[in-house]
Amino acid sequence: MACLARAETTPRILIGPLRRSSRFVCLSSRESTSITIPTARTISTRPQYPRQQQPLRPLPRSPVTPATTFRTYHSHDHPPPPGPFTPAETALLCAAYIHVPRHGFTAEALARGARDAGLLDISPSVLPGGESGGAFRLICWHLYTQRTALGGKVGGLTGDAGSPITNVADKVEALAWERLKGNAEAGVVGRWQEALAVMAHPSYAPTSVKELAQLADEILYLAGDSSVDPSWYSKRASLSAIYAAAELFQTTDQSPDFRETRAFLRRRLQEAARMGGAVRSISEWIGFNAGAAVNVLRSKGVRI
Amino acid sequence: MAARIALKRALPSTRSAFTHSPQQPPRFITRPFSASLPSLAPNPNPSTSASSSPSSSSTSSSSAPDYAIPDPTRPTHFGYETVTEGEKRERVAGVFTSVAESYDRMNDLMSFGWHRVWKDHFVASLNPGFSPLTPGPDPRGPQHILDIAGGTGDIAFRMLHTAHVVNANPAVRVTISDINRAMLTVGKQRSTTLPASQQASLSFVEANAENLSQTRPLHPYPSPIEPTTHDAHGNTEQAFFDPATSTASIPSASVDLYTVAFGIRNFSNIPAALREAYRVLKPGGVFACLEFSKADAHPVFNALYKEWSFRAIPLIGQLVAADRDSYQYLVESIERFPSQAEFRDMIVDAGFVVAGDGWEDLTGGVAAIHKGMKPRA
Repeated sequence: MACLARAETTPRILIGPLRRSSRFVCLSSRESTSITIPTARTISTRPQYPRQQQPLRPLPRSPVTPATTFRTYHSHDHPPPPGPFTPAETALLCAAYIHVPRHGFTAEALARGARDAGLLDISPSVLPGGESGGAFRLICWHLYTQRTALGGKVGGLTGDAGSPITNVADKVEALAWERLKGNAEAGVVGRWQEALAVMAHPSYAPTSVKELAQLADEILYLAGDSSVDPSWYSKRASLSAIYAAAELFQTTDQSPDFRETRAFLRRRLQEAARMGGAVRSISEWIGFNAGAAVNVLRSKGVRI
Repeated sequence: MAARIALKRALPSTRSAFTHSPQQPPRFITRPFSASLPSLAPNPNPSTSASSSPSSSSTSSSSAPDYAIPDPTRPTHFGYETVTEGEKRERVAGVFTSVAESYDRMNDLMSFGWHRVWKDHFVASLNPGFSPLTPGPDPRGPQHILDIAGGTGDIAFRMLHTAHVVNANPAVRVTISDINRAMLTVGKQRSTTLPASQQASLSFVEANAENLSQTRPLHPYPSPIEPTTHDAHGNTEQAFFDPATSTASIPSASVDLYTVAFGIRNFSNIPAALREAYRVLKPGGVFACLEFSKADAHPVFNALYKEWSFRAIPLIGQLVAADRDSYQYLVESIERFPSQAEFRDMIVDAGFVVAGDGWEDLTGGVAAIHKGMKPRA
């Protein structure tokens, strides 16, 4: 009844958009039916774009593998999503990958791979991306296969003395080194500067950075890192930076078995650990002193 | 610039053809067509459609679903209107005949010249004519590029430049095909400014993309002799290709690269055209389509873009080309075209395999490049 009374005092408000749905308006409908006020739809001055009509027949659906199945977490309970490469693409990239050590991440390698796979010279142009889209896709293929191969190597990790590694920090170092060795084993170290140049192209940089982040995440996950605080981010960020630097170092490393690269990687990780400890100490000191300062002020009667 | 002069030279004759068009509304030969989005409703007139579709047998096969078989009585859409198949073809033909001469100028005005960037990117990403440095030529023979709905030659000329100049591969041939002879004639005129070697690699073919087994070389429209000729029904020569006059065909598995830029949304039956593309491509050949698409991922930008296309483009069409209706159709047909993922699924349904997502957005999705490859059998 209070509702009805309110409706009678302000009938105009109720006529427009509320009329259809509200119970509030149903009570007042007898009073308001005689009043005609143009609704929002009829007084609109905006052009009325015709609504997209429903297709006359539902579009044919097919089980296309969604290529953007990207998951930002690791799961023990669900199978991993399919990779970003369709089967046809996988066949083409596999064939082209063989030619990378000799011809680099180029259209040349792709065209030779296409010929090997019984396809045409034009076939690699089906790969997505712009002018060097095919080359970038080939680089992505290298990154993806190397990253997913780490999971199989984690069981066989051994320390310098040949004993299994149990420490998380040592596992991180060993896995990063396995990944760098993957570059050498695939024979792409000599071509990696070209690849980095393509990856730094503005239209490919976001994908490249995402791939680097996924690699850092993969390494830390496989190493058994279980942090659930802000250090989750700082660990991944620092490992990404260290890995990228080590990879750059590797491109110019002439030492046998990339010994210098391994030493470089180890030094950077130790620095990061020292830096992390220093940051932790400083923040602990600041937090303690800030709390103490607040308590001193409270003891002086300040209302905080 | 030279192309523009050539185009101007071509204009008076084209214009006189329009002013001297027959008074009575032209009658078109009914030929098989079907809808890009056909209904599930039963065909109201199955017997007539069967009897009047002699060429449907060539596109239909036991594996082709119903919607990919041309059917003249099936409803489709023309902009926001629902029309029948044959009617859409007539009306699309009318649109492009009336805009042929102002087509390139209007493209510049509507997209702020940006369509050139899209087309350059499209051709660069396909990299036609690239061949690895092996001793001797490609064992599979020179590349053959088929540019469907090639009209004024924008894509084909860029393809030729990339293949002949950038990739130094003069063996590449390009065939420009269009159903509309007026557009094709403008393209032919523009091609006279190309280097002779590139002109020699070009050919112009009249064809309906839904049935490439019936083609004929370009008879320029309006040609000095043809406006007086009559078809079987006693009507004067039409601006679009009549399959009854076909003299040639594009054989199966003969094309390396099939491109269609800003054309496929005008087809009456897109699934049939995709199946025909699959037929003419060699195994390993690439289907590439540049087409307007959906910018739904960016709501603010999309709202501005919709304002521009629904308010400004018909107005520009009215002012510059004196033809509001044609450009109204243009923006409506863009709106009705399937989204990126839906169109990708249509390409896959036709038998192609895709890589990655299967498409690449340009300018936030205003246009998109779809690519598919015919797998090795």
